[in-house]
Amino acid sequence: MIGRPTHRSRVIHQLLATVAVLPFALPLYWIIAISFEGAGASANYSAVVTKTPFVQFLINSLVMSAGTVAIVFVCTMLAGYALGKLHFAGRELLFRAIVAGMMLPVIALIVPIYMLVRQAGLFNNFLAVIIPLCTVILPMTILLTRNYIQGLPEELLDAAKIDGATSFGTLIRVVMPLSRPIVAVIIVWSFLNSWNEFLLPLLFLQNESLQAITQIPTYFTATYGSDVPKIFAALVLMCLPIVTAYLCFQKFFERGLTAGALK
Amino acid sequence: MGTTEPVAAARPRRRRRGHYTAYLYLLPALLLIVGITYFGVGYNFWASTLDWNGIDPNPTSIGLGNYVEISQDPIFWTALTNVAVFGVITIVAQMVIGLALALVLSGPIVGRAVYKAIVFIPVVLAPAAISTAFRQFLRPDGQVNAVLDAVGLGFLSQAWIADPTWALYALAAVNIFQWTGFSFILYQAALSQIDSSHLEAAQIDGAGTWRTIRHIIVPQLRSTHITLALTGVIGALKTFDIVFLITGGGPGRSTEFLTTYIYKMSISQFHVGYGAALSVVLLLLALALTLVQMRVYRYEQED
Repeated sequence: MIGRPTHRSRVIHQLLATVAVLPFALPLYWIIAISFEGAGASANYSAVVTKTPFVQFLINSLVMSAGTVAIVFVCTMLAGYALGKLHFAGRELLFRAIVAGMMLPVIALIVPIYMLVRQAGLFNNFLAVIIPLCTVILPMTILLTRNYIQGLPEELLDAAKIDGATSFGTLIRVVMPLSRPIVAVIIVWSFLNSWNEFLLPLLFLQNESLQAITQIPTYFTATYGSDVPKIFAALVLMCLPIVTAYLCFQKFFERGLTAGALK
Repeated sequence: MGTTEPVAAARPRRRRRGHYTAYLYLLPALLLIVGITYFGVGYNFWASTLDWNGIDPNPTSIGLGNYVEISQDPIFWTALTNVAVFGVITIVAQMVIGLALALVLSGPIVGRAVYKAIVFIPVVLAPAAISTAFRQFLRPDGQVNAVLDAVGLGFLSQAWIADPTWALYALAAVNIFQWTGFSFILYQAALSQIDSSHLEAAQIDGAGTWRTIRHIIVPQLRSTHITLALTGVIGALKTFDIVFLITGGGPGRSTEFLTTYIYKMSISQFHVGYGAALSVVLLLLALALTLVQMRVYRYEQED
């Protein structure tokens, strides 16, 4: 971008870039390298998969993430559509009331959430994780979706109305197909947040068969003590799904993660 | 719904129906947000006036007693200082390194996509995984010290997370590792928006690379700087996983954060009233800092 690329400047650039990226590449390399040490790669990985509840934790996390994504998606599309295109009293007020919760750290609500979960008898129930998670994710996804849907051309919705579509029909047949980019953002954002959530499963899922994948390291350290290579094999397996998803859908991940910052 | 009805006659009815259905559409989201967030904030305020272990059915009301106690609690002030130091270091470093990477990688680089992916991958990884890995890397006999040794900087070796002087900086480094990819991507997007004719004009005027960056590029990225500062402040206040998993707030209280202190008070030690009061302080801090920054942001926009 700056200067004219001569042969020398190319080499310098390449060197600079490599040195700059090294602090990020090294730890990633170490994680994989350590998982190959000790008893060897195949022994480490097969021990993780066959001798521990790793697969169970993985399935649990998938179920919780799927539940969170589904609830966030439905709530966000409905609310984003109403706030973006329908006219009703108190629209701005309700919009602000929803978005105001965006900056809240979950940990600041841990006392009331704990009491609610206890009152509702939801210990060792995925809902104790899913519902609070949805609540903290929603303000961001609703803000983005409302802004997006508000920008859709009014004429398309009017045309549907003239054709006799109900407002729900308009949402399904007109708004949804036009909202693919924002739907991708909602899914990436809610999946990432639920897949990586640590605190809520820690607090509410004490039953070993219900734990989330983020509890794997703690579980391993408690059970295997200092068998570091096996712990790292578990780390690699735990990161694999999300890294694969990122590499396949780079654009969506980058957009999904930064959309909130760009507003 | 009848399509055969004249449009004019149908219109008033439709509008009214749209009116009510709008509230129905909002209902699921509002139920969750009011039922958890708003209820939670209210509950925190109420519980913060109690001397309560969370179980006793008849807690004693002590008014603002918990807040008075917080103001005199040295651990609270340590935690607040730690968050501030951590916040300043991570925000500045993530911005500077992120921008530097975006600039370097905007040059003629072979394999740019691979470099970019490496920097961004930590952003999508679970903090729980990163924390576990760095607990190992930062041990006295860990990978970080081994690298320092290998490049002849062995004298810089530390016990990092076991040493109260270094633990907070070690946590900051882990955070920088995880989140620089985020500012990098934002800067990269913003850089691609800069009109290249400005840069060419600067070069023709004889400005060197450094001067072009300082006087042309950095000022044009102002809205990205502000966005990153804003998300960084909230991010620092929210930080929990890596602290909890790497140092647990220790050694001593050297890496205690407001979040870990809230966790210990409310969950581990059953000082629920005190934990709720700390939560209220955290909420107010997040709110106040957001408002201040929004003000600055708006002021800058009007400029």
